[in-house]
Amino acid sequence: MMYKGPAIQIENITKRYKSAQEDSLNKVSLQINERDVYGLLGPNGAGKTTLISILCGIIPPSKGNINYYIGGNSVSETERRSRVGFVPQEYAFYQELSAKQNLDYFGAMYNLSKSELTVRIDELLEALGLMKSADKKVSTFSGGMKRRVNLAIGLIHKPSILFLDEPTVGVDVQSKNAIIKYLEEINRTGTTIVYTSHHMSEAEEFCNRIALIDHGKVVVEGDLQELLKENFAPDLQSLFIKLTGEEYRD
Amino acid sequence: MFKIFSSIRKELLLLVSDKVGLALMFLMPLLLVFIITIIQDSAYKIVNENEIPMLVVNHDEGVQGNNLLKLLYESRLFKIDMLNNLPQNALKKELLASGKMIALYIPSGFTKGLESNVGEVSHMMMRDFGLEQDSTETKTAEMPALSFYHDPVLQENYSASVRGVIDSYMGMIEKTMMIERIYTDMDLGSKSDKLNAKMNVNRVKINQIVASNNNSVAVPNSTQHNVPAWTIFAMFFMVVSLGSNIVKERVNGSFLRLKTMPTSFMLVMFSKMAVYVVVAVLQVTLTFSMGIWVLPKIGLPQLTLPTNYPAFAAVVLISSMAAVSYALLIGAWARTQEQASGFGAISIIIFGAIGGILVPSFVMPEYMQFASNFSPLHWCLEGFYILFLKGGSWQELRWVMLFLGVFILICQLCTYIKLRIEKII
Repeated sequence: MMYKGPAIQIENITKRYKSAQEDSLNKVSLQINERDVYGLLGPNGAGKTTLISILCGIIPPSKGNINYYIGGNSVSETERRSRVGFVPQEYAFYQELSAKQNLDYFGAMYNLSKSELTVRIDELLEALGLMKSADKKVSTFSGGMKRRVNLAIGLIHKPSILFLDEPTVGVDVQSKNAIIKYLEEINRTGTTIVYTSHHMSEAEEFCNRIALIDHGKVVVEGDLQELLKENFAPDLQSLFIKLTGEEYRD
Repeated sequence: MFKIFSSIRKELLLLVSDKVGLALMFLMPLLLVFIITIIQDSAYKIVNENEIPMLVVNHDEGVQGNNLLKLLYESRLFKIDMLNNLPQNALKKELLASGKMIALYIPSGFTKGLESNVGEVSHMMMRDFGLEQDSTETKTAEMPALSFYHDPVLQENYSASVRGVIDSYMGMIEKTMMIERIYTDMDLGSKSDKLNAKMNVNRVKINQIVASNNNSVAVPNSTQHNVPAWTIFAMFFMVVSLGSNIVKERVNGSFLRLKTMPTSFMLVMFSKMAVYVVVAVLQVTLTFSMGIWVLPKIGLPQLTLPTNYPAFAAVVLISSMAAVSYALLIGAWARTQEQASGFGAISIIIFGAIGGILVPSFVMPEYMQFASNFSPLHWCLEGFYILFLKGGSWQELRWVMLFLGVFILICQLCTYIKLRIEKII
């Protein structure tokens, strides 16, 4: 728990999709430290999802390097997959199956044993308030419950680094509260969280560091409170508007 | 192992939760086999075993009309309905009204005409042999004509076959009459039984040999065609269930999520293929069991299983793999579930139609028979035909295996390419 050095070091990441005229990410360099709650913020089309997809290994960067560290030690690609969790924006699971069956399947894909899974599934269902509906088909769940299942899958293997792409979008206040509380709890126990959101007030409350990305470039990066102070912004939303402008981003 | 088990278990759970897909894969072939076999059974029986219904109006006052009828009865090829009171001009109408396909009209004076002709031939022979001195030219006897009526829907080759049978019996009758008349004119009395036997029994035989490897005499019947045909159709219909599942997993991000995990995507695909190959084998087991045990109970022909079990297993397996691979291909390339199930289902119906599932390809026009080579369902069915009807050897199955093998490879390759494009693999 002592180490507070880098968990992810991103060096000059550039990404241009095959059919695109412009770079989606242009020489992005960031350092995310262990136990950070790091917010990747920006308007629509800024490049947040592209960056998080590269960080999770879904798509390769066109240029640049990413290094991952656990407890100060660099980790291999295989180990990274075992130690990183990903919660996508979509409900990326099987709605025809129950919450328990989904967790069982994805847990096995993370190489957890049957006995480890039994314990872990109960822990997560309990913590995220899904125990009562554990055996019901997820298709019958509310939006908030589905978000919690989505989160539980990303956490099933107790990841050291967790990537969250809009984890609270479209959910009620209660579910949002439960999700954020649980994320704060796992952060306290050592999980590094990288998070994207459009909810500025939520991000302001939740993140200790942020990177504001626009047009594929990092506009500003650092400790949230220091950034607010430096830019004379009363809150994150004001800072966001100040640095990215007021025009529509469609 | 636990990973493979979990992956297979997930596929099974998804399959079980898809009630419509299950019904399409298991109930549909049973219903299709049941209904289509009953419908087609009578058509196959007409070709293979049934007596052909025939209306006969015999206005002949002599014996030869009855002799012809006797021969037609004894042939067991025809189920004859006699309507002697019907005038000839009403026969056409009666044929269409009765729903029978053919009718025969034996005219008044039929025997008399034949006798007159025989007498004339005999007279000419006697004169040529110098046994008769009369040199006056006899008036040429007018040969009586039989009238053969047939429904316009009856195929030309079919009616030609029936005409051929009648013609052959008429030849026998005329030959017998001729010999008897010659014997009489030469004052030799009746011809001997020995001569009778020599003329009518000891004729050139035509040996009928079924071109099958194991000398099996199985003939195509409605069961032997429909059970494998609709089983193959149902196997390929798994595109609705499997194809839609793949689209769903692609679109909702499950596949991409798996990419972030320490697992091989091949495991996911292997689990899918394994589960659906088992589904296909179960489909074969179910429909074939129906063909063996249920269909005979309702008077339909029993399905005869091939004797070459390893070849049978190979055909079932490669057909299953072809069906699964096609479903993977559709699942990989379709943009939406609706596209996968809609296009998938329609493409299978088209493949089925040109592949000889709905109508056997041997009754199709030549260009359609050529087109059927491009349907994987045709090759699967061909495999079963080789097994069931020709006693199937590996040698004969080689083209089936080759085509289906190439088809599987192309489908898998296209699936791989699409998943690569989408960065899933």
